Amino acid sequence: MRSNPTMRKIPLYKEKEKQLYIRFFEIVLLIVIACGIYTRFNPFEIFLNAEYFWSFIFEDFLPPSMPDFLSTMNSIAITLAMAISATTVGGIMALFVSLFGSEYISPYKGIAKIVRGFATFLRNIPTLVWAFILFSSLGIGTGVGFIALMITSFAFLVRAFIETMDEISSDCVESLEAVGASFWQRVIHGIWPSCIHGYLSWFLYSLEVNIRASTIVGMVGGGGIGMVLLSYIKSFKYHKAAGIILAIAIIVIVVELLTNSLRKKMVE
Amino acid sequence: MDSLLNMNMETEIIEKRKNGKIKISCRQKDHSVRYFLIVIGVLTMISFLFLDIEWGKLLARLPEIPLIFMKLFTFQFDKMDQIIEAFFETVSVAVLSTFLGIVLGLFFGIFAANNILHIKGLPTFVKAFFSFIRAIPTLVWVLLMLVCLGFGPAAGIVGLCIHTTAFFTRSFAQSFEDVSDEVIEALEVTGAGKLQIFFHAILSSSFSQMIAWIGMRFEINFAECAILGMVGAGGVGFMISNSIQSYDYGTAGVAIVLVFLFAYLIERIFVAIKKTLAGKN
Repeated sequence: MRSNPTMRKIPLYKEKEKQLYIRFFEIVLLIVIACGIYTRFNPFEIFLNAEYFWSFIFEDFLPPSMPDFLSTMNSIAITLAMAISATTVGGIMALFVSLFGSEYISPYKGIAKIVRGFATFLRNIPTLVWAFILFSSLGIGTGVGFIALMITSFAFLVRAFIETMDEISSDCVESLEAVGASFWQRVIHGIWPSCIHGYLSWFLYSLEVNIRASTIVGMVGGGGIGMVLLSYIKSFKYHKAAGIILAIAIIVIVVELLTNSLRKKMVE
Repeated sequence: MDSLLNMNMETEIIEKRKNGKIKISCRQKDHSVRYFLIVIGVLTMISFLFLDIEWGKLLARLPEIPLIFMKLFTFQFDKMDQIIEAFFETVSVAVLSTFLGIVLGLFFGIFAANNILHIKGLPTFVKAFFSFIRAIPTLVWVLLMLVCLGFGPAAGIVGLCIHTTAFFTRSFAQSFEDVSDEVIEALEVTGAGKLQIFFHAILSSSFSQMIAWIGMRFEINFAECAILGMVGAGGVGFMISNSIQSYDYGTAGVAIVLVFLFAYLIERIFVAIKKTLAGKN
Protein backbone atom coordinates (compact mmCIF):
# COMPACT_ATOMS: atom_id res chain seq x y z
CA MET A 1 0.00 0.00 0.00
CA ARG A 2 2.84 2.35 0.80
CA SER A 3 4.07 2.15 -2.77
CA ASN A 4 0.74 3.40 -4.05
CA PRO A 5 1.18 7.16 -4.57
CA THR A 6 -2.52 7.90 -5.09
CA MET A 7 -3.35 6.62 -1.61
CA ARG A 8 -3.39 9.68 0.62
CA LYS A 9 -5.45 8.59 3.57
CA ILE A 10 -4.32 6.12 6.16
CA PRO A 11 -7.13 3.69 6.93
CA LEU A 12 -8.21 4.08 10.54
CA TYR A 13 -9.89 0.73 10.75
CA LYS A 14 -9.05 -2.66 9.37
CA GLU A 15 -11.07 -3.20 6.23
CA LYS A 16 -12.28 -6.64 7.34
CA GLU A 17 -13.43 -5.41 10.74
CA LYS A 18 -15.22 -2.49 9.16
CA GLN A 19 -17.15 -4.79 6.87
CA LEU A 20 -18.08 -7.03 9.79
CA TYR A 21 -19.48 -4.08 11.71
CA ILE A 22 -21.38 -2.81 8.69
CA ARG A 23 -22.91 -6.26 8.15
CA PHE A 24 -23.84 -6.36 11.83
CA PHE A 25 -25.54 -2.97 11.73
CA GLU A 26 -27.39 -3.95 8.56
CA ILE A 27 -28.82 -7.02 10.27
CA VAL A 28 -29.81 -5.03 13.35
CA LEU A 29 -31.52 -2.40 11.22
CA LEU A 30 -33.39 -5.05 9.26
CA ILE A 31 -34.66 -6.62 12.48
CA VAL A 32 -35.72 -3.23 13.79
CA ILE A 33 -37.62 -2.38 10.60
CA ALA A 34 -39.29 -5.79 10.58
CA CYS A 35 -40.40 -5.26 14.18
CA GLY A 36 -41.67 -1.77 13.34
CA ILE A 37 -43.80 -3.15 10.51
CA TYR A 38 -45.07 -6.02 12.65
CA THR A 39 -46.32 -3.77 15.44
CA ARG A 40 -47.38 -1.00 13.00
CA PHE A 41 -45.43 1.42 15.17
CA ASN A 42 -45.09 4.87 13.72
CA PRO A 43 -42.78 7.13 15.70
CA PHE A 44 -44.20 10.19 13.94
CA GLU A 45 -47.66 9.36 15.19
CA ILE A 46 -46.51 10.41 18.62
CA PHE A 47 -45.31 13.76 17.34
CA LEU A 48 -48.63 14.24 15.61
CA ASN A 49 -50.44 13.47 18.84
CA ALA A 50 -48.03 15.63 20.81
CA GLU A 51 -50.65 18.20 21.62
CA TYR A 52 -52.86 15.69 23.37
CA PHE A 53 -49.80 14.27 25.09
CA TRP A 54 -48.68 17.59 26.58
CA SER A 55 -52.17 18.60 27.58
CA PHE A 56 -52.50 15.30 29.42
CA ILE A 57 -49.24 15.81 31.26
CA PHE A 58 -49.71 19.45 32.20
CA GLU A 59 -53.45 19.55 32.85
CA ASP A 60 -54.57 16.12 33.98
CA PHE A 61 -51.37 15.02 35.57
CA LEU A 62 -49.47 17.96 37.01
CA PRO A 63 -49.35 19.42 39.60
CA PRO A 64 -49.18 16.36 41.82
CA SER A 65 -51.39 16.37 44.86
CA MET A 66 -50.45 14.43 47.91
CA PRO A 67 -53.04 11.93 49.06
CA ASP A 68 -53.45 11.20 52.75
CA PHE A 69 -49.94 11.34 54.17
CA LEU A 70 -50.19 8.63 56.83
CA SER A 71 -51.77 5.97 54.65
CA THR A 72 -49.23 6.72 51.90
CA MET A 73 -46.38 6.31 54.36
CA ASN A 74 -47.92 3.05 55.53
CA SER A 75 -48.12 1.61 52.03
CA ILE A 76 -44.58 2.79 51.28
CA ALA A 77 -43.42 0.98 54.40
CA ILE A 78 -45.13 -2.21 53.22
CA THR A 79 -43.36 -2.00 49.87
CA LEU A 80 -39.99 -1.39 51.52
CA ALA A 81 -40.52 -4.17 54.04
CA MET A 82 -41.42 -6.61 51.28
CA ALA A 83 -38.26 -5.75 49.35
CA ILE A 84 -35.91 -5.88 52.34
CA SER A 85 -37.20 -9.13 53.80
CA ALA A 86 -37.30 -10.85 50.39
CA THR A 87 -33.74 -9.80 49.55
CA THR A 88 -32.36 -10.92 52.91
CA VAL A 89 -34.04 -14.31 52.91
CA GLY A 90 -33.16 -14.86 49.25
CA GLY A 91 -29.58 -13.78 49.99
CA ILE A 92 -29.16 -16.17 52.91
CA MET A 93 -30.49 -19.05 50.84
CA ALA A 94 -28.26 -18.10 47.92
CA LEU A 95 -25.25 -17.95 50.27
CA PHE A 96 -25.52 -21.67 50.89
CA VAL A 97 -26.87 -22.85 47.56
CA SER A 98 -24.22 -20.99 45.55
CA LEU A 99 -21.53 -23.06 47.32
CA PHE A 100 -22.88 -26.12 45.55
CA GLY A 101 -23.18 -24.32 42.24
CA SER A 102 -19.53 -23.32 41.87
CA GLU A 103 -17.40 -25.92 40.15
CA TYR A 104 -14.26 -25.07 42.15
CA ILE A 105 -15.83 -25.42 45.52
CA SER A 106 -18.79 -27.73 45.30
CA PRO A 107 -18.11 -30.99 47.11
CA TYR A 108 -20.22 -32.85 44.58
CA LYS A 109 -19.10 -31.79 41.13
CA GLY A 110 -22.13 -33.25 39.42
CA ILE A 111 -24.52 -31.06 41.36
CA ALA A 112 -22.95 -27.77 40.20
CA LYS A 113 -24.56 -27.90 36.77
CA ILE A 114 -27.96 -28.87 38.15
CA VAL A 115 -27.92 -26.04 40.67
CA ARG A 116 -26.96 -23.51 38.03
CA GLY A 117 -29.57 -24.79 35.61
CA PHE A 118 -32.23 -24.54 38.29
CA ALA A 119 -31.19 -20.98 39.15
CA THR A 120 -31.22 -20.04 35.47
CA PHE A 121 -34.73 -21.41 35.15
CA LEU A 122 -35.97 -19.43 38.15
CA ARG A 123 -34.20 -16.27 37.06
CA ASN A 124 -35.38 -16.14 33.48
CA ILE A 125 -39.05 -16.15 34.39
CA PRO A 126 -39.94 -12.56 35.27
CA THR A 127 -40.92 -11.69 38.85
CA LEU A 128 -44.43 -10.74 37.84
CA VAL A 129 -45.05 -14.10 36.17
CA TRP A 130 -43.99 -15.74 39.42
CA ALA A 131 -46.34 -13.44 41.25
CA PHE A 132 -49.21 -14.49 38.98
CA ILE A 133 -48.46 -18.20 39.33
CA LEU A 134 -48.24 -17.87 43.11
CA PHE A 135 -51.32 -15.68 43.43
CA SER A 136 -53.36 -18.33 41.70
CA SER A 137 -52.16 -21.02 44.10
CA LEU A 138 -51.65 -19.15 47.38
CA GLY A 139 -54.12 -16.29 47.12
CA ILE A 140 -53.46 -12.54 47.14
CA GLY A 141 -51.44 -10.75 49.82
CA THR A 142 -48.11 -9.38 50.93
CA GLY A 143 -46.88 -12.85 51.92
CA VAL A 144 -47.19 -14.08 48.37
CA GLY A 145 -45.55 -10.92 47.02
CA PHE A 146 -42.70 -11.63 49.41
CA ILE A 147 -42.28 -15.17 48.07
CA ALA A 148 -42.38 -14.03 44.43
CA LEU A 149 -39.68 -11.42 45.08
CA MET A 150 -37.64 -13.91 47.08
CA ILE A 151 -37.58 -16.45 44.26
CA THR A 152 -36.11 -14.07 41.68
CA SER A 153 -33.66 -12.40 44.03
CA PHE A 154 -32.54 -15.82 45.23
CA ALA A 155 -31.92 -16.98 41.66
CA PHE A 156 -30.14 -13.76 40.72
CA LEU A 157 -27.92 -13.85 43.79
CA VAL A 158 -26.98 -17.50 43.23
CA ARG A 159 -25.57 -16.53 39.84
CA ALA A 160 -23.86 -13.40 41.17
CA PHE A 161 -22.36 -15.23 44.17
CA ILE A 162 -21.04 -18.04 41.98
CA GLU A 163 -19.34 -15.48 39.76
CA THR A 164 -17.84 -13.72 42.78
CA MET A 165 -16.44 -16.99 44.09
CA ASP A 166 -15.04 -18.02 40.72
CA GLU A 167 -13.16 -14.74 40.50
CA ILE A 168 -11.54 -14.94 43.91
CA SER A 169 -11.28 -18.41 45.17
CA SER A 170 -8.92 -20.81 43.40
CA ASP A 171 -5.58 -20.10 45.20
CA CYS A 172 -7.01 -19.69 48.63
CA VAL A 173 -9.22 -22.76 48.37
CA GLU A 174 -6.45 -24.89 46.94
CA SER A 175 -4.05 -23.99 49.74
CA LEU A 176 -6.68 -24.76 52.33
CA GLU A 177 -7.41 -28.05 50.63
CA ALA A 178 -3.69 -28.85 50.68
CA VAL A 179 -3.47 -28.54 54.45
CA GLY A 180 -6.43 -30.87 54.76
CA ALA A 181 -9.26 -28.52 55.64
CA SER A 182 -12.76 -29.96 55.43
CA PHE A 183 -15.43 -28.50 53.15
CA TRP A 184 -17.02 -26.31 55.83
CA GLN A 185 -13.63 -25.17 57.12
CA ARG A 186 -12.72 -24.13 53.61
CA VAL A 187 -15.98 -22.24 53.25
CA ILE A 188 -15.97 -20.50 56.61
CA HIS A 189 -12.28 -19.60 56.78
CA GLY A 190 -11.42 -19.26 53.10
CA ILE A 191 -14.29 -18.44 50.82
CA TRP A 192 -16.71 -16.37 52.84
CA PRO A 193 -14.17 -13.95 54.35
CA SER A 194 -12.60 -13.24 50.97
CA CYS A 195 -15.91 -12.90 49.14
CA ILE A 196 -17.91 -11.02 51.74
CA HIS A 197 -17.43 -7.60 50.15
CA GLY A 198 -18.43 -8.91 46.74
CA TYR A 199 -21.44 -10.65 48.24
CA LEU A 200 -22.61 -7.52 50.01
CA SER A 201 -22.21 -5.34 46.95
CA TRP A 202 -24.36 -7.75 44.92
CA PHE A 203 -26.80 -7.94 47.81
CA LEU A 204 -27.18 -4.17 47.77
CA TYR A 205 -27.72 -4.18 44.02
CA SER A 206 -30.40 -6.82 44.40
CA LEU A 207 -32.05 -4.75 47.12
CA GLU A 208 -32.18 -1.79 44.77
CA VAL A 209 -33.78 -3.89 42.02
CA ASN A 210 -36.24 -5.40 44.48
CA ILE A 211 -37.53 -2.04 45.66
CA ARG A 212 -38.63 -1.32 42.12
CA ALA A 213 -39.94 -4.82 41.61
CA SER A 214 -41.92 -4.74 44.82
CA THR A 215 -43.90 -1.69 43.67
CA ILE A 216 -44.74 -3.62 40.52
CA VAL A 217 -45.67 -6.80 42.35
CA GLY A 218 -47.87 -4.62 44.53
CA MET A 219 -49.84 -3.57 41.47
CA VAL A 220 -51.07 -7.06 40.66
CA GLY A 221 -52.02 -7.94 44.22
CA GLY A 222 -49.04 -7.81 46.54
CA GLY A 223 -50.26 -4.68 48.29
CA GLY A 224 -48.25 -1.60 49.19
CA ILE A 225 -47.66 1.56 47.18
CA GLY A 226 -48.09 -0.14 43.80
CA MET A 227 -51.64 -1.15 44.59
CA VAL A 228 -52.48 2.40 45.70
CA LEU A 229 -51.02 3.81 42.49
CA LEU A 230 -52.93 1.43 40.25
CA SER A 231 -56.19 2.14 42.02
CA TYR A 232 -55.70 5.90 41.54
CA ILE A 233 -54.87 5.48 37.85
CA LYS A 234 -57.83 3.18 37.28
CA SER A 235 -60.21 5.65 38.93
CA PHE A 236 -58.78 8.55 36.84
CA LYS A 237 -57.40 10.44 39.86
CA TYR A 238 -54.28 11.45 37.99
CA HIS A 239 -53.17 14.26 40.31
CA LYS A 240 -53.04 11.87 43.22
CA ALA A 241 -51.34 9.26 41.03
CA ALA A 242 -48.68 11.85 40.19
CA GLY A 243 -48.13 12.42 43.90
CA ILE A 244 -47.65 8.69 44.45
CA ILE A 245 -45.27 8.44 41.49
CA LEU A 246 -43.24 11.29 42.94
CA ALA A 247 -43.10 9.48 46.27
CA ILE A 248 -41.91 6.28 44.54
CA ALA A 249 -39.23 8.21 42.66
CA ILE A 250 -37.98 9.80 45.87
CA ILE A 251 -37.75 6.45 47.68
CA VAL A 252 -35.92 4.81 44.81
CA ILE A 253 -33.46 7.69 44.52
CA VAL A 254 -32.77 7.71 48.27
CA VAL A 255 -32.24 3.95 48.33
CA GLU A 256 -30.01 4.18 45.25
CA LEU A 257 -27.83 6.89 46.78
CA LEU A 258 -27.58 4.92 50.01
CA THR A 259 -26.69 1.60 48.38
CA ASN A 260 -24.25 3.27 45.98
CA SER A 261 -22.32 4.95 48.75
CA LEU A 262 -22.31 1.72 50.77
CA ARG A 263 -21.15 -0.25 47.75
CA LYS A 264 -18.28 2.17 47.18
CA LYS A 265 -17.23 1.62 50.77
CA MET A 266 -17.42 -2.14 50.23
CA VAL A 267 -15.13 -2.00 47.22
CA GLU A 268 -12.56 -0.05 49.22
CA MET B 1 21.62 -17.86 72.31
CA ASP B 2 20.39 -16.03 69.26
CA SER B 3 18.35 -18.92 67.95
CA LEU B 4 16.79 -19.40 71.35
CA LEU B 5 15.69 -15.78 71.41
CA ASN B 6 14.18 -16.21 67.99
CA MET B 7 12.23 -19.21 69.11
CA ASN B 8 10.90 -17.26 72.05
CA MET B 9 9.83 -14.47 69.75
CA GLU B 10 7.99 -16.91 67.51
CA THR B 11 6.08 -18.48 70.32
CA GLU B 12 5.00 -15.03 71.32
CA ILE B 13 3.78 -14.09 67.85
CA ILE B 14 1.68 -17.19 67.26
CA GLU B 15 -1.08 -17.10 69.82
CA LYS B 16 -2.39 -20.42 70.93
CA ARG B 17 -5.63 -21.44 72.54
CA LYS B 18 -5.69 -23.20 75.86
CA ASN B 19 -5.91 -26.62 74.25
CA GLY B 20 -2.79 -25.92 72.21
CA LYS B 21 -4.46 -25.25 68.86
CA ILE B 22 -3.43 -22.28 66.77
CA LYS B 23 -6.06 -19.59 66.43
CA ILE B 24 -7.34 -19.37 62.91
CA SER B 25 -9.38 -16.23 63.00
CA CYS B 26 -7.64 -12.87 62.93
CA ARG B 27 -8.54 -10.52 65.72
CA GLN B 28 -8.02 -7.19 63.98
CA LYS B 29 -11.05 -7.27 61.74
CA ASP B 30 -12.82 -4.56 59.89
CA HIS B 31 -15.96 -4.12 61.93
CA SER B 32 -17.95 -2.25 59.28
CA VAL B 33 -19.08 -5.50 57.67
CA ARG B 34 -20.31 -6.80 61.00
CA TYR B 35 -22.26 -3.60 61.71
CA PHE B 36 -23.71 -3.71 58.25
CA LEU B 37 -24.90 -7.28 58.71
CA ILE B 38 -26.42 -6.41 62.07
CA VAL B 39 -28.29 -3.45 60.57
CA ILE B 40 -29.62 -5.60 57.73
CA GLY B 41 -30.67 -8.27 60.21
CA VAL B 42 -32.53 -5.79 62.38
CA LEU B 43 -34.22 -4.21 59.34
CA THR B 44 -35.33 -7.63 58.17
CA MET B 45 -36.79 -8.47 61.56
CA ILE B 46 -38.70 -5.19 61.62
CA SER B 47 -39.92 -5.85 58.08
CA PHE B 48 -41.27 -9.26 58.99
CA LEU B 49 -42.98 -7.91 62.10
CA PHE B 50 -44.47 -5.08 60.08
CA LEU B 51 -45.66 -7.24 57.19
CA ASP B 52 -47.39 -9.60 59.61
CA ILE B 53 -47.64 -12.43 57.09
CA GLU B 54 -50.08 -15.18 57.94
CA TRP B 55 -47.54 -17.98 57.78
CA GLY B 56 -49.98 -20.70 58.82
CA LYS B 57 -52.29 -19.96 55.95
CA LEU B 58 -49.41 -19.71 53.48
CA LEU B 59 -47.81 -22.94 54.59
CA ALA B 60 -51.12 -24.74 54.51
CA ARG B 61 -51.55 -23.79 50.89
CA LEU B 62 -47.98 -24.60 49.94
CA PRO B 63 -48.83 -28.08 48.61
CA GLU B 64 -50.88 -26.37 45.92
CA ILE B 65 -47.77 -25.02 44.20
CA PRO B 66 -46.68 -28.38 42.75
CA LEU B 67 -50.27 -28.92 41.64
CA ILE B 68 -50.21 -25.62 39.75
CA PHE B 69 -46.94 -26.58 38.14
CA MET B 70 -48.38 -29.92 37.11
CA LYS B 71 -51.24 -28.04 35.46
CA LEU B 72 -48.87 -25.54 33.84
CA PHE B 73 -46.75 -28.28 32.38
CA THR B 74 -49.62 -30.19 30.84
CA PHE B 75 -49.25 -28.07 27.73
CA GLN B 76 -52.19 -27.20 25.56
CA PHE B 77 -51.29 -26.15 22.06
CA ASP B 78 -54.72 -25.33 20.67
CA LYS B 79 -54.18 -21.56 21.10
CA MET B 80 -50.69 -21.75 19.68
CA ASP B 81 -51.31 -19.24 16.87
CA GLN B 82 -52.48 -16.61 19.36
CA ILE B 83 -49.51 -17.27 21.60
CA ILE B 84 -47.04 -16.98 18.72
CA GLU B 85 -48.62 -13.75 17.56
CA ALA B 86 -48.52 -12.25 21.06
CA PHE B 87 -44.98 -13.48 21.53
CA PHE B 88 -43.72 -11.81 18.37
CA GLU B 89 -45.45 -8.62 19.38
CA THR B 90 -43.61 -8.74 22.70
CA VAL B 91 -40.26 -9.38 21.01
CA SER B 92 -40.90 -6.52 18.58
CA VAL B 93 -41.74 -4.14 21.38
CA ALA B 94 -38.54 -5.13 23.17
CA VAL B 95 -36.40 -4.67 20.05
CA LEU B 96 -37.93 -1.33 19.07
CA SER B 97 -37.79 0.17 22.54
CA THR B 98 -34.19 -0.93 22.98
CA PHE B 99 -33.20 0.43 19.58
CA LEU B 100 -34.88 3.79 20.14
CA GLY B 101 -33.36 3.87 23.59
CA ILE B 102 -29.89 3.32 22.14
CA VAL B 103 -30.29 6.14 19.61
CA LEU B 104 -31.68 8.60 22.16
CA GLY B 105 -29.26 7.39 24.83
CA LEU B 106 -26.30 8.06 22.54
CA PHE B 107 -27.61 11.54 21.83
CA PHE B 108 -28.23 12.46 25.46
CA GLY B 109 -25.14 10.56 26.58
CA ILE B 110 -23.02 13.11 24.71
CA PHE B 111 -24.56 15.86 26.82
CA ALA B 112 -24.30 13.87 30.01
CA ALA B 113 -20.61 12.99 29.70
CA ASN B 114 -18.33 15.66 31.10
CA ASN B 115 -15.40 15.07 28.75
CA ILE B 116 -17.01 15.79 25.37
CA LEU B 117 -18.75 19.14 25.07
CA HIS B 118 -17.23 20.93 28.08
CA ILE B 119 -20.31 22.99 28.85
CA LYS B 120 -20.31 23.79 32.52
CA GLY B 121 -23.17 22.47 34.59
CA LEU B 122 -24.89 20.71 31.70
CA PRO B 123 -23.70 17.15 32.49
CA THR B 124 -24.83 17.40 36.10
CA PHE B 125 -28.22 18.70 35.07
CA VAL B 126 -28.78 16.03 32.39
CA LYS B 127 -27.66 13.27 34.74
CA ALA B 128 -29.93 14.46 37.54
CA PHE B 129 -32.90 14.70 35.18
CA PHE B 130 -32.41 11.19 33.86
CA SER B 131 -31.81 9.66 37.25
CA PHE B 132 -35.18 11.05 38.25
CA ILE B 133 -36.80 9.42 35.20
CA ARG B 134 -34.98 6.18 35.89
CA ALA B 135 -36.21 6.11 39.46
CA ILE B 136 -39.79 5.68 38.30
CA PRO B 137 -40.35 2.01 37.47
CA THR B 138 -40.78 1.07 33.81
CA LEU B 139 -44.23 -0.32 34.31
CA VAL B 140 -45.45 2.98 35.72
CA TRP B 141 -44.26 4.73 32.58
CA VAL B 142 -46.08 2.18 30.47
CA LEU B 143 -49.25 2.71 32.51
CA LEU B 144 -49.04 6.46 31.94
CA MET B 145 -48.47 5.95 28.22
CA LEU B 146 -51.46 3.62 28.10
CA VAL B 147 -53.57 6.45 29.45
CA CYS B 148 -51.95 8.89 27.02
CA LEU B 149 -51.73 6.92 23.78
CA GLY B 150 -54.42 4.34 24.24
CA PHE B 151 -54.04 0.58 24.10
CA GLY B 152 -51.67 -1.16 21.77
CA PRO B 153 -47.97 -1.76 21.29
CA ALA B 154 -47.20 1.98 20.85
CA ALA B 155 -47.81 2.64 24.53
CA GLY B 156 -45.49 -0.21 25.47
CA ILE B 157 -42.77 0.94 23.10
CA VAL B 158 -42.84 4.58 24.22
CA GLY B 159 -43.15 3.74 27.92
CA LEU B 160 -40.24 1.31 27.79
CA CYS B 161 -38.25 3.67 25.58
CA ILE B 162 -38.41 6.46 28.18
CA HIS B 163 -36.89 4.30 30.87
CA THR B 164 -34.40 2.69 28.49
CA THR B 165 -33.22 6.10 27.28
CA ALA B 166 -32.61 7.18 30.85
CA PHE B 167 -30.67 3.98 31.50
CA PHE B 168 -28.52 4.27 28.38
CA THR B 169 -27.84 7.97 28.89
CA ARG B 170 -26.31 7.26 32.22
CA SER B 171 -24.43 4.09 31.31
CA PHE B 172 -23.13 5.43 27.99
CA ALA B 173 -22.01 8.64 29.65
CA GLN B 174 -20.17 6.54 32.20
CA SER B 175 -18.41 4.56 29.44
CA PHE B 176 -17.54 7.80 27.63
CA GLU B 177 -16.03 9.22 30.79
CA ASP B 178 -13.93 6.09 31.23
CA VAL B 179 -12.04 6.93 28.03
CA SER B 180 -8.68 8.24 29.15
CA ASP B 181 -7.95 11.94 28.74
CA GLU B 182 -4.73 11.22 26.86
CA VAL B 183 -6.61 9.73 23.94
CA ILE B 184 -8.82 12.78 23.66
CA GLU B 185 -5.94 15.19 24.11
CA ALA B 186 -3.92 13.43 21.44
CA LEU B 187 -6.73 13.98 18.97
CA GLU B 188 -7.27 17.55 20.13
CA VAL B 189 -3.63 18.31 19.42
CA THR B 190 -4.00 17.12 15.83
CA GLY B 191 -6.83 19.59 15.42
CA ALA B 192 -9.78 17.23 15.38
CA GLY B 193 -13.21 18.72 15.97
CA LYS B 194 -15.50 17.66 18.78
CA LEU B 195 -17.53 15.39 16.52
CA GLN B 196 -14.41 13.75 15.11
CA ILE B 197 -13.10 13.17 18.60
CA PHE B 198 -16.40 11.64 19.58
CA PHE B 199 -16.64 9.25 16.65
CA HIS B 200 -13.00 8.24 16.34
CA ALA B 201 -11.83 8.17 19.92
CA ILE B 202 -14.64 8.02 22.41
CA LEU B 203 -17.18 5.91 20.58
CA SER B 204 -14.71 3.35 19.31
CA SER B 205 -12.96 2.86 22.62
CA SER B 206 -16.13 2.49 24.64
CA PHE B 207 -17.73 0.22 22.07
CA SER B 208 -17.31 -3.12 23.82
CA GLN B 209 -18.58 -1.68 27.10
CA MET B 210 -21.60 -0.31 25.31
CA ILE B 211 -22.37 -3.72 23.81
CA ALA B 212 -22.34 -5.15 27.32
CA TRP B 213 -24.78 -2.47 28.50
CA ILE B 214 -27.03 -3.05 25.50
CA GLY B 215 -27.10 -6.78 26.11
CA MET B 216 -27.98 -6.28 29.74
CA ARG B 217 -30.73 -3.83 28.91
CA PHE B 218 -32.21 -5.98 26.15
CA GLU B 219 -32.59 -8.80 28.65
CA ILE B 220 -34.33 -6.46 31.07
CA ASN B 221 -36.54 -5.00 28.36
CA PHE B 222 -37.68 -8.39 27.20
CA ALA B 223 -38.60 -9.37 30.74
CA GLU B 224 -40.44 -6.07 31.17
CA CYS B 225 -42.25 -6.56 27.86
CA ALA B 226 -43.33 -10.01 28.91
CA ILE B 227 -45.05 -8.55 31.95
CA LEU B 228 -46.48 -5.46 30.27
CA GLY B 229 -49.61 -7.34 29.34
CA MET B 230 -50.38 -8.02 32.94
CA VAL B 231 -51.21 -4.38 33.62
CA GLY B 232 -53.27 -3.99 30.47
CA ALA B 233 -50.94 -3.63 27.48
CA GLY B 234 -51.00 -6.48 25.00
CA GLY B 235 -48.43 -9.12 24.23
CA VAL B 236 -47.53 -12.43 25.74
CA GLY B 237 -48.00 -11.15 29.30
CA PHE B 238 -51.67 -10.62 28.60
CA MET B 239 -51.89 -14.21 27.34
CA ILE B 240 -50.27 -15.48 30.53
CA SER B 241 -52.32 -13.48 33.00
CA ASN B 242 -55.53 -13.98 31.08
CA SER B 243 -55.14 -17.74 30.78
CA ILE B 244 -54.19 -18.11 34.43
CA GLN B 245 -57.19 -16.07 35.50
CA SER B 246 -59.50 -18.20 33.39
CA TYR B 247 -57.90 -21.40 34.73
CA ASP B 248 -56.49 -22.29 31.32
CA TYR B 249 -53.15 -23.34 32.79
CA GLY B 250 -51.98 -25.38 29.80
CA THR B 251 -51.92 -22.35 27.51
CA ALA B 252 -50.24 -20.20 30.16
CA GLY B 253 -47.61 -22.91 30.57
CA VAL B 254 -46.73 -22.83 26.87
CA ALA B 255 -46.43 -19.05 26.94
CA ILE B 256 -44.25 -19.10 30.07
CA VAL B 257 -41.92 -21.70 28.61
CA LEU B 258 -41.65 -19.65 25.43
CA VAL B 259 -40.71 -16.57 27.48
CA PHE B 260 -38.17 -18.56 29.44
CA LEU B 261 -36.55 -20.06 26.34
CA PHE B 262 -36.22 -16.70 24.63
CA ALA B 263 -34.81 -15.02 27.74
CA TYR B 264 -32.30 -17.84 28.07
CA LEU B 265 -31.35 -17.55 24.40
CA ILE B 266 -30.67 -13.81 24.73
CA GLU B 267 -28.52 -14.42 27.80
CA ARG B 268 -26.43 -17.05 25.98
CA ILE B 269 -26.00 -14.91 22.85
CA PHE B 270 -24.77 -11.88 24.74
CA VAL B 271 -22.45 -13.96 26.91
CA ALA B 272 -20.93 -15.30 23.67
CA ILE B 273 -20.64 -11.80 22.14
CA LYS B 274 -19.04 -10.43 25.28
CA LYS B 275 -16.53 -13.28 25.28
CA THR B 276 -15.47 -12.71 21.68
CA LEU B 277 -15.18 -8.96 22.28
CA ALA B 278 -13.11 -9.55 25.41
CA GLY B 279 -10.91 -11.96 23.44
CA LYS B 280 -10.27 -9.31 20.81
CA ASN B 281 -9.14 -6.62 23.20
